[in-house]
Amino acid sequence: MVSLTVNGTSLDIQADAAKPLLWVLREELGLLGPKYGCGIAQCGACRVLIDGQSTPSCITPLGSVSGASVVTIEGLSDTEGTLSDVQQAWLDEQVPQCGFCQPGFIIAATALLAENPRPTDAEIDEAITNICRCGTYPRIRRAIHRAAAARDQA
Amino acid sequence: MPRLLSRRTFLFTGAAVAGTAMVAAVGGVGLLSTVDVDGLESFVDGERAVLNAFLTIHSDGRVVVSVPRTEMGQGIHTGLAMVVAEELDIPMDERLSVVFPTELHPAYSNWFNVLGVRPEEASGPVVWVGRRVLGLAGFISTGASASTMAMWHPMRVAGASARQMLIAAASARLGVPVSALTTDDGFVTHAASGRTLSYGQLAADAAVLSPPEDPALKPAAQWRIIGRSQPRVDLPAKVRGAPVFGMDVVLPDMLHAAIRHAPVFGAELAAINNEPDVRAQPGILDVAIVNRRQVAVVARSWWQAEQAAQLLDISWTSTDFDTFATAQMSRDLNAALTSDDPHDAVDDGDAEAAITTAADRVEATYEAPFVTHACMEPMNATVIIREDGAAEAWVPSQAPIAVRQGVYNGASWADVHPASVTCNITMNGGAFGRRSDQDVVAQAAFLAARHRGRPVKLIWSREEDIRGGLYRSHAAARLRAGLGPDGLPLAYDIRVTAQSAIEGIAGRNLPFNPGPDGDRFTVEGLDKPYYTVPSRRVRSQHVPSHVPIGLWRSNGYSFNTFFIESFIDECALAAGADPLAYRRALLRDHPRHLAVLDRVAEMADWGAPLTPGRGRGIAIEECHRSIVAQIAEVTIATDGEITVDRVLCAIDVGLVINPDAVVAQMEGGISFGVTSALMSAITFEDGAVVQSNFHDYPIQRLANAPEVEVSIIESDLPPGGAGEPGIVPVAAALGNAIHAATGRRIRRLPFATTQTIGLRRTRSVLVPEA
Ligand code: FES
Ligand code: FES
Repeated sequence: MVSLTVNGTSLDIQADAAKPLLWVLREELGLLGPKYGCGIAQCGACRVLIDGQSTPSCITPLGSVSGASVVTIEGLSDTEGTLSDVQQAWLDEQVPQCGFCQPGFIIAATALLAENPRPTDAEIDEAITNICRCGTYPRIRRAIHRAAAARDQA
Repeated sequence: MPRLLSRRTFLFTGAAVAGTAMVAAVGGVGLLSTVDVDGLESFVDGERAVLNAFLTIHSDGRVVVSVPRTEMGQGIHTGLAMVVAEELDIPMDERLSVVFPTELHPAYSNWFNVLGVRPEEASGPVVWVGRRVLGLAGFISTGASASTMAMWHPMRVAGASARQMLIAAASARLGVPVSALTTDDGFVTHAASGRTLSYGQLAADAAVLSPPEDPALKPAAQWRIIGRSQPRVDLPAKVRGAPVFGMDVVLPDMLHAAIRHAPVFGAELAAINNEPDVRAQPGILDVAIVNRRQVAVVARSWWQAEQAAQLLDISWTSTDFDTFATAQMSRDLNAALTSDDPHDAVDDGDAEAAITTAADRVEATYEAPFVTHACMEPMNATVIIREDGAAEAWVPSQAPIAVRQGVYNGASWADVHPASVTCNITMNGGAFGRRSDQDVVAQAAFLAARHRGRPVKLIWSREEDIRGGLYRSHAAARLRAGLGPDGLPLAYDIRVTAQSAIEGIAGRNLPFNPGPDGDRFTVEGLDKPYYTVPSRRVRSQHVPSHVPIGLWRSNGYSFNTFFIESFIDECALAAGADPLAYRRALLRDHPRHLAVLDRVAEMADWGAPLTPGRGRGIAIEECHRSIVAQIAEVTIATDGEITVDRVLCAIDVGLVINPDAVVAQMEGGISFGVTSALMSAITFEDGAVVQSNFHDYPIQRLANAPEVEVSIIESDLPPGGAGEPGIVPVAAALGNAIHAATGRRIRRLPFATTQTIGLRRTRSVLVPEA
């Protein structure tokens, strides 16, 4: 049994400690926002926040996150369902095409902005390593700047 | 008059004709005339009023638009909903939603892709019969950049017809003439008395009226939605991470499956050497041989199934292809460039004589490799076959008809014959042509037939996805031109070799096969009739291999436009001309094309000098009834590392429904095209695909994404396609830019060898000079 917090709720999970967090979230907890895209930490579709760090959950065994706080894309909006500022920027910039990669990008951008509220293009390039096959990159960059600017004004 | 020998009509024409003969013989024209191809019939079902096959209005005023085309990122659900909303006089707000209908209504059929005639221009007996036969067959598919072209008019009519019925219902209810009523914002208003009724209040009355045959359409001058960028209807769910994809389907009692394909296409299973060990793994319920060619593991969770599948020790039969390697395909393709009996696609004038007698000749051989789709959502399908024989499938698919056929085929491998199949088309996490086939569906149906009464969700690992592909063919071309005294081509003669896509697609999916010769996908893009060149010849030769070929975003254009638009640059340079000025001269008789070229040149400030190591390249193509021109700017470092600095894109896509969606398709197409040109190749060793995941089949990342600027040309032509054109000129524009920067003409894709550096960026270094 592994205890951890997922999107603010404390849970005791009965599952193989070797099972990747991605599949625990998807199969045991019904949190389907994190996606499987590669399984080898290449694409970032599975990214979640683990104690605030953007982490590929496909290579993170459940056993390694005992006691940690995990936030998935589902946990970014507040309890009323209001989108986070990053999600809102994504919508305002009309970023997604197919959308499959986007939860991972939104998580990665959320972690970046928490650490660096006003990232430059170079810092964005350094931090955001996910793959988008649909090629939404120009809008991703714009959405991160937009979210940063909105925070500045808030 | 040019002699066009290519089969311009699509491959299903044969099916339409054969099917027509059959249906006409059995049921006669009488039966066919009962097929509702307009979808305007209405009825009431409880509190919802179905005003036609595209439009349902609930009593609370909610409007549900049925869009029978797959949303795979291109924004088609929004674009076609906009058309309905425009005619219906409702805003694009929360009252409006979009579904992909499960019913295979004849009005949803994709007859445009088969017959090649726009619905608003359709007439004559062939179209009449073709629409009905394809409608009966349930031929619904999304592809060929055709959804807006095919559906915007029928859905406009559906919206206008419904609006007219709502007005008629209000007229009866209020006892006032129709002419005294207006519509706006989902309400019908009688201005004289100030009385107003909502569409929700009127829908049930409206649905029992007969739909008008030829409703008046709103004039373009009154449009408030069409042509103005609207937010995508599917994005709020997508930014929340809502479970909208096939992979996210969860059903009670569901089983999960993973699969292993034979490494060499065509090999069959010889033995599973450790089945008891695999079955003993936690959660494993079944190890199944699928159609002699794959092994599936069924478990309580996909992770368990995949873990167990990784342990499988399988022996496969040997095949004739066990020594096949990429170099062999390359030799075969190049050898076939001089084959004795190629298929003529274009033979206009005496190209040979003109080239032989020309003062200057240009000749070059080009090549492009096998590539794959690598959709972000790996292939998957969920199927249940219930005890009563009713089957149901949930699939991220471009073609319900392939889903239905896949369920029948896969179930039949287990000797199960479903009585019916309901197709639920989920959001697609990318598709690019890959999801038009039935492979993964048939496998899931077979497993569902073995586990009757329980849904089975089959997901391919990324490795199976890369290695179990339906690839874009490896291709080669030899291009020759004779230049006149002014440097412009008097003639060109092109030989192209590739493996036919149509033969493979038809073999896997259709009851007949037109065969490989004259496959239009092999030659598309090589005939450029808008370039004023007095004589042209294009010939193709099919080169078979054991590798399965499928549809791939922009198909033949993806290599042919690279070949010819690079070659045109070679001609320009041979003539000592500027590549832009040279193309302008070639386009002198085609002002629509010239306008697109001029626009992109202006965006790039074409004549402005670049610093050493930088280069600019241009290319133009007409495809899917759109014209697109692009200029790429690159920087080549001294060690050969290539940076794509920016790509400018001008497009004439005819009438634009949702401008921002067209821009997004250009941005995405350019990213896809840059990835392919710089880094994509599927290679073979010992008969098997070498690549397996994103570490060896790299995709552009944010750090390498060029700046992109898009300009849409105002056009009064009807809508063209936008899904594929954005990719098409990229490779040639890049190759021309590389030449401008370095003086090197690279005639073989990909241009570079790519590594992924620290998962952060891709580093693409130009291939060394041979
Ligand atoms: S699925 Fe985890 S990084 Fe791709
Ligand atoms: S939006 Fe489709 S992969 Fe990124």
